[in-house]
Amino acid sequence: MASTSMSTPQDTRSVPKKQGRAMSDAWFSVLLILPAMIIIAFFALYPLFYAIYVSFQLADLTAGGIKGFVGLDNYRTVLFDKFFWESVRTTLFFTFFAVSIEVVLGTFVAFLINGATVAKGLIRSLLILPLATAPAVTGLFWRYLYDTQFGLYNYFLGLLGLPQPNWLGDIKVALWAVIMFDVWLWMPFVALIVMAGLQALPKEPFEAAELDGAPYFRVLRKLTFPMLKPVLFLVIILRTIDALRLYDAVAVLTRGGPGSTTETMTYYLYRQGLVFFRMDYASTMALLFLYAVVVASLFALRPLLNMFGGRATAK
Amino acid sequence: MLERRSTPLEILRYGIILIVLFWTVFPIAWLLVTSFKPANDIMVSPPRFVFTPTLENYIYAMGKANFAMFIGNTLYVSLLSTFFVVILASLAAYSFARYNVGMGNILFFILTTKMMPAIAVVLPFFLIFRDIGASPIGEALGIGLDKRAALVISYTIFNLPFAIWLMVSFFQDIPTELEDSARLNGYNRLQVLRKVVLPLAAPGIAVTAIFCLIFAWNEFLFAYILTRDAARTITVGVESFFTLRGVLWGPVAAAAALSVAPMLFFVLILQRFMVRGLTFGAVRG
Repeated sequence: MASTSMSTPQDTRSVPKKQGRAMSDAWFSVLLILPAMIIIAFFALYPLFYAIYVSFQLADLTAGGIKGFVGLDNYRTVLFDKFFWESVRTTLFFTFFAVSIEVVLGTFVAFLINGATVAKGLIRSLLILPLATAPAVTGLFWRYLYDTQFGLYNYFLGLLGLPQPNWLGDIKVALWAVIMFDVWLWMPFVALIVMAGLQALPKEPFEAAELDGAPYFRVLRKLTFPMLKPVLFLVIILRTIDALRLYDAVAVLTRGGPGSTTETMTYYLYRQGLVFFRMDYASTMALLFLYAVVVASLFALRPLLNMFGGRATAK
Repeated sequence: MLERRSTPLEILRYGIILIVLFWTVFPIAWLLVTSFKPANDIMVSPPRFVFTPTLENYIYAMGKANFAMFIGNTLYVSLLSTFFVVILASLAAYSFARYNVGMGNILFFILTTKMMPAIAVVLPFFLIFRDIGASPIGEALGIGLDKRAALVISYTIFNLPFAIWLMVSFFQDIPTELEDSARLNGYNRLQVLRKVVLPLAAPGIAVTAIFCLIFAWNEFLFAYILTRDAARTITVGVESFFTLRGVLWGPVAAAAALSVAPMLFFVLILQRFMVRGLTFGAVRG
């Protein structure tokens, strides 16, 4: 993380030099990270190298495992696989709408709660409850909520005289049902972080703006949002990386159905790898996917985290 | 902050907040309510809000011998993996925070491993554990598919990056002056770490541990792929009430409630640290 901010402790540390036989700071620091690093390196790199290796092989576990080098065949198969691209499309659709709704709604809710004067603590504790639950467990229960006959959602919609969709059975609605579940689960996360961002804003510029009699929306546009930008970016990136990897909710809510309308990349990968046992396709897709995510975190997440790290230690 | 407060606008504000809260809370509330409903009050239309509460769903879920075992497995796996994570991560995080090993590059590499889609990692893990399990070493150590050790190892690995990042932020909050004066008073580095730093970092370490516990407790994919029966955890076990004759929603709700309730409690304890935890320590809410 922030390398500049960290140099100060190092300088002061070199004071007690007298124990010449004691190990140096460098050795000590490496020794401390070693156990964790060995584990992480082995279990992160092994799957990676395994995937790279298998992606160049014919590997059908139902037909006896790894069968031989096939060059770039798997890459060609994947890139010309219509279902793969469909799952990419589904994933991007899901990610775009889920994250947008979460961020817009979450920010709005954060502003509402931030301005509230009564029972703020209670409101916050109730808001974060979904974050405690396992998506796989609550997602399963949402199938009951979505039930066309016994579900609460359609009951409420019926009371309001609105149309009652077949949430998980209609090919036009199912993906939206998954999005709605994701919004339920993660909107509080966005709201919580934006609230923290709002609370950390400096007071002076706002007092000055108030003295000048600046209208609320102008303050919002010229002061609040520009200053909130880093927090919002961080939330968007964290949510995007997470949404691209969506698996649990799909696995328990729809199993990719109806048809393959809610089959995200991860679910397609799961089916290829662990239902059909085509490790070669699955590994190739995983690599393409991994590449996309790592590039995203490298270029988007790292600068942001550095900035936050720097700011936090500078205080 | 700035808005001129007028009563109608304030009523609107609280009205919207109430609607939002209702929406976030009712699925959990309905889950708890359903878990106490008699079977013939569950599959009815319109939904019944008044009923005589019963424990029959819990008795059924627990009586289905496996479910008590699922809870035992979940506890075992999440506590043990959290224990390992805390030890490994606190040492590493201290080193990253104080000595800046790797100038941030190693630290970021650690985070990218967390960004890997779990599904891509689980395939090789499945094969590793299958092969180890078939070997004499695996049999001797109790490692393999459908063994709790496989989940302990997996959860330790996937919580490590998160725990290191969060703990680095906590260690950075500890002023270095204290350590420096301890050094000047003749403590060696290990003593400084044990007697000065770790006690000061204890709250942060506890917070990190609770997060790891929640993540391990709630994990689904690894448990689903790496276990069949003997090592199943709750998150996967809930699905066992999806029978061929239909879904037994009462026991599902009871099982889900048993899975969710302890975590609700932990999250309320963690409230103040939620933001920090969920942003890997970046936003210190």
